[in-house]
Order: sequence, then C-alpha cells, then structure tokens
Amino acid sequence: MTETVKVHFLPEDLLVEAPVGTMLPDIADASGADITFGCRSGSCGTCRIRIVRGLECCSAMTAEERDFLAGLDVPVDQRLACQVTVLGDVDIEYLGIDS
Amino acid sequence: MTTLTSHLKERVLLLDGGMGTQILARNPTEEDFGGVRFEGCMELLNERRPDWIRDIHGAYLDAGADAVETNTFGCNEVVLGEFGLAQRVEDLNIQAVHLAKDVARSYDQTKYVIGSVGPGTKLVTLGHITHAALYRSYFAQMKGLLKGGADAILIETSQDLGQIKIAIRAAKNAMAELKLERPLWVQVTVESSGTLLLGTDIASVISTVEMLDVDVLGLNCGTGPDEMHAALAVLAESSTFDLSCLPNAGLPVNVDGKLVYNLGPEAFAEKVAHAAKEFSLNIVGGCCGTTPEYIRALRQKLTNWNVTHRTPILERAATSLYQAVSLRQEPRPLIVGERTNANGSKLFRDLLAKEDYDGLVGIAREQQRESAHMLDVCVAYVGRDEVRDMEEYLKRLVTQTTLPLMIDSTEVPVIERALQMAPGKCVVNSINFEDGEVKARKILDLCRTYGAAVVGLTIDEEGMAKTRERKLEVAQRLFDLVVKEYGFNPSDLIIDPLTFTLGSGDEAFRGSAVETLEAIRAIKERFHGTLTMLGVSNVSFGLKPEARHVLNALMLYHGVQAGLDLAIFNASKVIPVARIPAEQRKAAEDLLFDRRSAGYDPLKVVLEAFGSASAARTSEEVAARLSPTERLHLDILDGEKQRILVDIDEALKDQDPLFLINEVLLRAMKVVGERFGAGEMQLPFVLESAEAMKAAIQRIEPHLPKEASATKGRVILATVKGDVHDIGKNLVEIILSNNGFEVENLGIKQPVEAMLAAHARKPADAIGMSGLLVKSTVIMRENLVQMAERGLNVPVLLGGAALTRDYVESECQAVYPGVVLYAQDAFEGLRHMDAITSGEPLTRPMAAAPGVPAITVLRRGTGAVELTPDGSSPWVHRGLAIPEPPFWGVREAGHSVEELFQFLDHFVVIRNRWSFTQGQLPDEAFESVLHEKAEPLLARWKETLIQEPLLKPRALYGYLPVQAAGNSLKIYDPSRARILDTLHFPRQPEGRRLCIADFFEPESSGRFDVLPLQLVTLGAETAEYTAGLYQANRYADYYYFHGLATELTEAYAELLHARIRRELGIHGKDARELRQLFSQGYQGSRYSFGYPACPDLEGNGPILELLGGGTIGVEISESWQMVPEFTTSALIAWHPQARYFAV
Repeated sequence: MTETVKVHFLPEDLLVEAPVGTMLPDIADASGADITFGCRSGSCGTCRIRIVRGLECCSAMTAEERDFLAGLDVPVDQRLACQVTVLGDVDIEYLGIDS
Repeated sequence: MTTLTSHLKERVLLLDGGMGTQILARNPTEEDFGGVRFEGCMELLNERRPDWIRDIHGAYLDAGADAVETNTFGCNEVVLGEFGLAQRVEDLNIQAVHLAKDVARSYDQTKYVIGSVGPGTKLVTLGHITHAALYRSYFAQMKGLLKGGADAILIETSQDLGQIKIAIRAAKNAMAELKLERPLWVQVTVESSGTLLLGTDIASVISTVEMLDVDVLGLNCGTGPDEMHAALAVLAESSTFDLSCLPNAGLPVNVDGKLVYNLGPEAFAEKVAHAAKEFSLNIVGGCCGTTPEYIRALRQKLTNWNVTHRTPILERAATSLYQAVSLRQEPRPLIVGERTNANGSKLFRDLLAKEDYDGLVGIAREQQRESAHMLDVCVAYVGRDEVRDMEEYLKRLVTQTTLPLMIDSTEVPVIERALQMAPGKCVVNSINFEDGEVKARKILDLCRTYGAAVVGLTIDEEGMAKTRERKLEVAQRLFDLVVKEYGFNPSDLIIDPLTFTLGSGDEAFRGSAVETLEAIRAIKERFHGTLTMLGVSNVSFGLKPEARHVLNALMLYHGVQAGLDLAIFNASKVIPVARIPAEQRKAAEDLLFDRRSAGYDPLKVVLEAFGSASAARTSEEVAARLSPTERLHLDILDGEKQRILVDIDEALKDQDPLFLINEVLLRAMKVVGERFGAGEMQLPFVLESAEAMKAAIQRIEPHLPKEASATKGRVILATVKGDVHDIGKNLVEIILSNNGFEVENLGIKQPVEAMLAAHARKPADAIGMSGLLVKSTVIMRENLVQMAERGLNVPVLLGGAALTRDYVESECQAVYPGVVLYAQDAFEGLRHMDAITSGEPLTRPMAAAPGVPAITVLRRGTGAVELTPDGSSPWVHRGLAIPEPPFWGVREAGHSVEELFQFLDHFVVIRNRWSFTQGQLPDEAFESVLHEKAEPLLARWKETLIQEPLLKPRALYGYLPVQAAGNSLKIYDPSRARILDTLHFPRQPEGRRLCIADFFEPESSGRFDVLPLQLVTLGAETAEYTAGLYQANRYADYYYFHGLATELTEAYAELLHARIRRELGIHGKDARELRQLFSQGYQGSRYSFGYPACPDLEGNGPILELLGGGTIGVEISESWQMVPEFTTSALIAWHPQARYFAV
C-alpha cells in the first residue's frame, strides 16, 4: 500500500489525494486545480504559490527555483508549483489572484 | 621644406592616373624595348621611347594633374635584374625623373614629380627574397630617384608589411647619405577581401607605419573607389598622416575576352570626389585603367580643393603580419605568452636544440589558442648562435601567428635582426640602466628605426629596484629618456617594476610583492599614458606547481587591481580567482601581502597546504602527458574544435581512421551524453563538443577507405505539419549526426506524406517527429494512424515540449503497430537509436496498469461558479474607471536593439534558452560556469548585436474601442461606427470560470472599453542569420543566437507593454525591479495566442489584420503562426484582476 498525501488547494477548496512523492504539477493537472503553469521548468514564475501549511512537506528547492525566487526577493513560504514534489500534507494558496 | 609640402598643407593634390595602361595602348614592339630579351621592361622605355613617356606625363598634366609619377614602378634591382639590367637601376631612375621634370617645367604652374617605387616581384615576408637583398634593391632605386631630383618618394602598391618597412628604411638611409630630405609617401593595396595580399588588416598597417614617421599613408590599386571605403574610413579615423587615394577605374570585368574596368571617367570622378569630401583626402588620383580623361573629370568634379582637417585618434597597438592588438586590453591585462622562451620553457629549449622549428611554431600557436594576446620570444641558449636562431625562428613564425611579438633579448644584434624579420610593430623586451645608458640608447635607436614599443625594467647602476621609491625613481629615468628625449608616445613605453619570488622565504623579499603592486599604482598615477607589465609567475618561483598556480593567479588579480596593463603569463594556467578555495586564497594572499603574526607564517601554510592540492592542475598540463587518442577524448569533452584538428592529424599517423571514429570519438561523445544525462554538463558545452566532433569527422573523412561506412544507422527527422519550430529537431540532428547516424532533416511543417516519401526513397531505421505546439501532439498521433493504415511499422521517435511520456507511451503507441518511443531530449533519442540499430529487442512500453487511480479528488468545495447574466465570471469586478489612451488607432513604434536589451530577462536567457542549469554541479562550480562562461557570453552577444545589424526590430501597437459580449470581444474602429472584428475566447470550465473577455466592459454597460494591441518582430534577417549559423555547423552559436533572439522578441513585447501602461496611466503599480516586472509585476496582463489563457493560434490572424502586420513585414502562415520566426503579438487587458490563467 503506497503512502498518500493530501493537497488542499485553498482558493477553490479542492482537496486531492496522491501518492507520496508525486509532483505538484501532476496533482494540479489531474484534479483540474486553477493554477496557471508557464514554462514548467522554473524560469518563468507564472506558477508561484504560497504554502500556507506544510512547507516542510515540500521537496527542497532545486538550484533553479532557489535562484529564480532569490531574484524576486520573495518570502520563504513562496514556491514555484512546477518544481515542488509533495512529501506530506500541504495547504496551498495561489498568488496573483486579487478578488 | 619643398613647395610640395606647403601645397599639401593647403590644397588637395591631384596626382596622375595609370602609366602601364597608357604605355601598352601604344603597342610597344620588340624593337621599342631594344630586343626580345628586354621585352616587357617598361623602365627601359624611359631611355628607348622617351617621347612616349613625355606624351603620357604631358597628357596628365594637360588634364589638370598637379603632379606625375615617374615611370619607375619596377625600376629596382630585383625587377631589372630579371632582364640582366641590375647595374642600371640608379641610372634609369635618374633618367626617368629627368624626363618627367622636363615635362613639368614646361607648365606655368608648379607641377611636381613623384618618384614611383613599386613592390617588386618578390615577397620578403614569405621568404622569396632575403631582407638584405630587398634592402639593396630599394636602396639603389631610392638613390637614383633622389639624385634625379624627385620632389617626393612614393612607395606604392605595397602588399607586404615587411616590404614597406624595408623600403622606408632604404629611402631614409638614401636621403641621409645624399644629405637631402624629401617627403616620403606610402600607399598600400587593399584587396577586395579587405586586407593586403598577405592578410594584413589596415589597422595593422597604420600602427606599423605610424612608428616609422612618413608623410602620407594612403591607398592605391586593388579595387575601385567604392571598395576602398571601409579602409579609408579606418585611415581617416586613426592615421595621423596625410591621406591619399588612387583607385582603379572600378573592378575589372571581362568583355569579349578583354579585361576592362567597369567605371567610366564621370562615375569614377564622382566617387573619388565624394570620398575626398567624406574622408578629408589630401591626395587623389587614379591607378589601373584610369587615363587622362579620368583625371580631367576628377579635376572638374572635385569642387573644394581646400584641405579639410581630420582629428585622428590612434589607439596604441602592437601588430603582427595580420592584425593590430591594442596595448590596452579591456578587460586588462594584455597577456604575453611566456612559453616561446628558451629561459622559461624546457620544451622550447629542447626543440630549439633539435632545431625543430615546426615544434617551436607549434608552441607559439598553442599559446595563441590559449588566448595570449602577444608572444614573448626569446631564443637565448648558451652555446648557440642567437642571431641565427632568431632569424630561423621568426622566418617561420611571422606568417603562422596572428599575434604581435615581444622580442626578448639582451643582445643588440639579436634585437636588430628580429626587428628586421618581424613585419609588424613589435615590443622590445627590454632596456635598463644596469650599465648606464649606452646600451639602452642603442636599443632605443633600433626601436625608432624599425618602429617598436619598448619595455623598460626598473634596474639601474645600483641594481634591481626593490622598494617602491627606488622603482619609481628608475621609472622616472626611463620616462625621461624614452618619452621626453626620444619622443616616444608614453604608451609605447611599458615599465616593468619587477617581481621577485616569495617562495624562498628570504627576509629581504618578504614584502616585495607589496612593493611591486604599490609601484604599479604609483607609476600609473605619475606617468599618464605609460603602461605597466609584470612577469607574474616570478612571484612563485621555487614553489610546487599547485601553489604556483594559485599564487600567480592572485598576484595577477591584485596587479590588475593596481593598474597592471600587461602580464607575461602562461595563459593556459590562469585559474579564475573565484575557483580558488577560500583557505588557499587566504594563505596565498597573506603571503603576497606579508601578513605574518606570532606563530603564523603564510609561507609555511602555502608550502604544506598545496602539497596534495590537485584542483589547480590545468588541462594543459594534463594534456601534455596524454597519448594522441587520449587527447582526442579530452578534446571532445572540452569542445576543442581547433586543438582537435592537430590531435587528429597526429593520431592519423599511426591509427586507423575508422578506429578513431568508432573507438575514440564516438566513445567520447557517449561520455558527453552520459554527463549531460547526469546533470553534470550543460547543453551549450554539449554543443561545443558536437562542433569539435563535426570538425574531427570532416578532418578524418578524406582518410576513410571508399567502401567504409561509418554510419550506425539512418533516421528521418521532421517538425510536423503546422508547426514551425525548428530548434528541438535540429538539436536532435546535431546529436545524432555527431554520434554516427545519418540524418535526413526534412525541415519544418512537414506532412506525414513527406516523411513517408523520404522513407520510401531510402528506408530509415526510424522516423523522428518533433513539434512544440499542443496541436502538434495531436498531429503526431494522426500521423501514426495514417502510417498504421499504410501497413508501416518502422520505429517512430516523438519529441517536443508539449508531449508527455505517458501520452506517447499510451495514446500514441496504441494506434501504431511499430514501436513508438518518447525522447525527452536529444540524448534519449540517441539511446533509442542505438537500441534500434543494435538489434536489441525493442520492448513495447506498457501503459500504466489500470485500476489504481493514483490521484483522487476527495472534495471539490466550491465547484463551478454561476456566470453572471452577461455570461461572465462573477469573480471579475466590472464598472471600473476606464483609462484613456493617448490616441485611437494603430501606430508604428521605433526602438533600437540596445533598448530591447534593457528589457531582456537575463535569467531566462541563461537558465532556460541557453540551458545553463545547475543539474548536479556543486554551487561553486556552477557559479563559475555562470561567471566565466554564460555571463561573458551574453555580454559578447549583446555587444555584437548592438554593433552589427543582425536584428531589425520593428513594432506596431494601438488602441481600439472594444465591448465584451459573453466569451467574445467586439472590436470597433476608432470612430466606433463599425465592428472591425469579433474575437472569441475560451472559458475555464471550472473554478473561477474565467475568460479573457471578462476583463473588458460588457455591451450592456453601454460603455466602450479600450483594447491595446501590439505586434513586435526582429525581422526576416534574424531568422536567416539563425539558419546560416546552423548551416555552418556553428551549433553552439546557433543555439545561443536562436535563444537570445527568441528572448529579445519577448523583451520587445515587454518594452512595448510597459510603454502602453505608461500611456494609459496605469504604470503606478509597475515593479521597480526588472525581475519582478517580468513576473507580471504590473497592473493588467498581456495575452498572446498559443498560451494557456487563449491556446488557439488562430487568434493571431485577426490581430495581424487589425494592426496591419504586413506594413512591418509580418505575415501569417497557413497554420496561424507568424512569419518571420522572431515575432510575437498580444492583446492587453488593463483590468487589475487580469492575470495569467489557464483554460
């Protein structure tokens, strides 16, 4: 039995279950979450998200993501969704959605 | 001062036209020459047909010429010697001047006679004649011309720097001997290639001749006036001498088997007159093909004969036969290669002992490859004849290196011979005052005679200067002698304040590095313009190689900080300071700056710590110990496309060519692929390896037996129908073709029929389909269906950004009986091809086992929202204040390439477009890849693109009234009288249910919103240049240029979008930092078709229509992509809630 994780996409109250170690973009695609991806390689920044809970359950940053975000000088709880592998339960807030 | 000199001060001088053509027009017979053995000896006609020569001179003077050239072009020992008339040189020159002077005197106005000196028939630099023989040949002619009374000497049609230097010296010595001074003019012939016959560029000519103090430097012969423009521009900009221009009557064309020139007198005169004005010429006239008619036309066409003044600026340089190298390199320092030195290199000494001159030249060329700017040449070897060795070595070296030479000797005769042998402007290393000034003066005399800069060492009668004060004192004396007394330009004096080793531990020298560094600082401050140099590696003499590399690198680094201009250095051993581990750096710097404390001696640390250090070992050291095949392996890994040719030649001597390809080169490429796959090597380096591979294969090919096939298999590649994206497919071609596969690259937008036709023509082992668009993934599947229907089962490789492994292995594989393989990158494609052609059983990948849904939605809280009565997302607020555009309609915007660069996202270029990703490299290693490779590369490209017209940016933008209606935008003409077009957009099926139309005011509001549109392109030339790079196998440049141009297109879009926000007055929210701006750090959003919010490319059609894309050369392809390639369009929403979203 594979261990699973729960990903909660807060803006649309979408709760998804996936095997530990699944890439966040795969989870978002499969569940139809309203995250916009651009280059999917960590260099355009379109998919910036905020990890509201479970930052420690996200894979460590790749060098690309670290360098990209360093250039934007953003708070530590922000990540590029396309670069994140989910290792435990997380709650996610989208950025750039001002209502 | 002759009147000629004063004439040139005020008036442009009109010289005559061609002499040879005029003589030949008179059809001279054997009789005219005085017998068959003299036939063709034009100079003899001065004596045998003086009537003709008089007529010709007279015709030119009648036509308005101010001066004529004597008929003495070949009147020297070398040429006359071929007719057995060597002893008549002086006499025939005198006769020729007298003839011309007779004619000149018959005019009321002053007419001048210019003694013509041609190049002769032998090239001294190529070794056709000895230096001494050519000097003698000229000396006799100069004497004759001067004795005859010529008003000036014109060394013309010069093709060889070496020859120019000799002729000038011969003229000056003849004047000295006859105790008269005449103006000395030099003219060179620039071929249509843009250089002199031997490849010398005009900048090299200027810097070489500048030292030799002549009166005129100009051009004659070779080409017509148009082709001379580039060289004239350089001369006008930097030559301090008067400028002459005597072109041919255009370019020669063959008419009915006869050579004629393509410009008539009027056209010729028009062009020369124009050049005279543009370049402030001082002397004009004609050369081959020109007649008195041309000179008459020129007299009439040129209206302003007053001299206009130029303000030339000559950058101080040293020169080789080929080029000028600025003594001030940016970034500093100028690197002087130290290995062509019998004192510094054991290898050099050994080769010299064996008189292996090819080997010695090889060392020079190696340093050139290792980016030395100049070569220090020293052949002093106890027991050998240094003069002879210098002569033998330079004889071969000067044509085989593009670098200027630093002549390193203590012997005056050696220096003189070297300065005779080297065609360009050298640097002499060195003078000092160890035995007073006598020897220094002798050497300076030579520098003045042959035109050379000089190095001065801070040594005087008291010995080597060790403190900064003493160094400065000797420097002052050097400056006073060389600059003040000898009149050298301050930058032709290079002061070397000496470096001593810190390796001995000798207390007297512990502070010597600091003294040297401070002396550099002081010299730069006190003697404005004077340059400094250090033999950097002396600082570490006696230490272990590892320690030496580190200490040398830091000494160089701090020297440059202090103002060092030149460094004698082994260029291959330059370790970037950033790569030196922190503890090593600290120890070495403590040693350099003599920072000792109780119980701490940095020398001890250096001696101990570096014992085992291997990081500092250089590739050059490693390579020297390897066999040729091992070196080839390294060449491929390092992407050494020059060095690999040498190693291939070496290896071919005793290795089978097929063995080299299959066992050495392909294996090395395999390692490249593995390193790439392991994230240890970035794509640009892979491409450089592929370039080296290509170069190697081309070198080997002629040696392959005819029947041999080095091909591992054949593959057909194409970008699928409707898709214009080239680069992914081309990368696959590069990798496959340089790994032993035959690749037929069909190009872009290829229907499946084209692939099948190629396969039918010559069956392939696999067909590879590529495409970037989402639509292309569908086309690939359709293609497979069609191929299945036709009963094919050839393996198919699929690759492209929008593909996923899962889609290929399940959906695509399901419709095709043959194997379908996904290739994430070129190397996965290569692995597949290797498997296919090696006959390994190709297991068809199985789709993931069904039944276990890996990802499950547990709760969808909000679900889909209800749309408003207007059919829009309730999430978007409407009814906001609409910004006012500055105008309605469409306008063209104009921006320079430089402005585009201001909006360039460097991060994306380097990390994404150029694929410099860290992968598995440690941080420090990747840092140095960025700092030493990627960033300088971007800086160089930026410079190139700003200077060269490769990009032609053009753009249109505008504002149109708009109203939303459900999922559509109704776009009106500026008067709002009629709808120009209605665009339809997709809507998110779930979540916020957004659609681009929601960000504009609806029809129901009765208000008109504003729709900004934009279109930017870099022009068709950009795409053509890209293709050219690919054709030329310049893989890495192709990749860099393509990626950079793509991102510059984006930069232009970003720039124009910023302007639109400003014009709408919504720029208040623009992020101040560019990186943040690029991450949508502004109000509103810019949407382009083909992206997540509006993925359908068909929208490009109406945008182009609305903006009138044709006016800037942008068209739409049948698959709705914009042509040329580097083009992008967008519609802009100003609405604060408008952000990127995906449908």
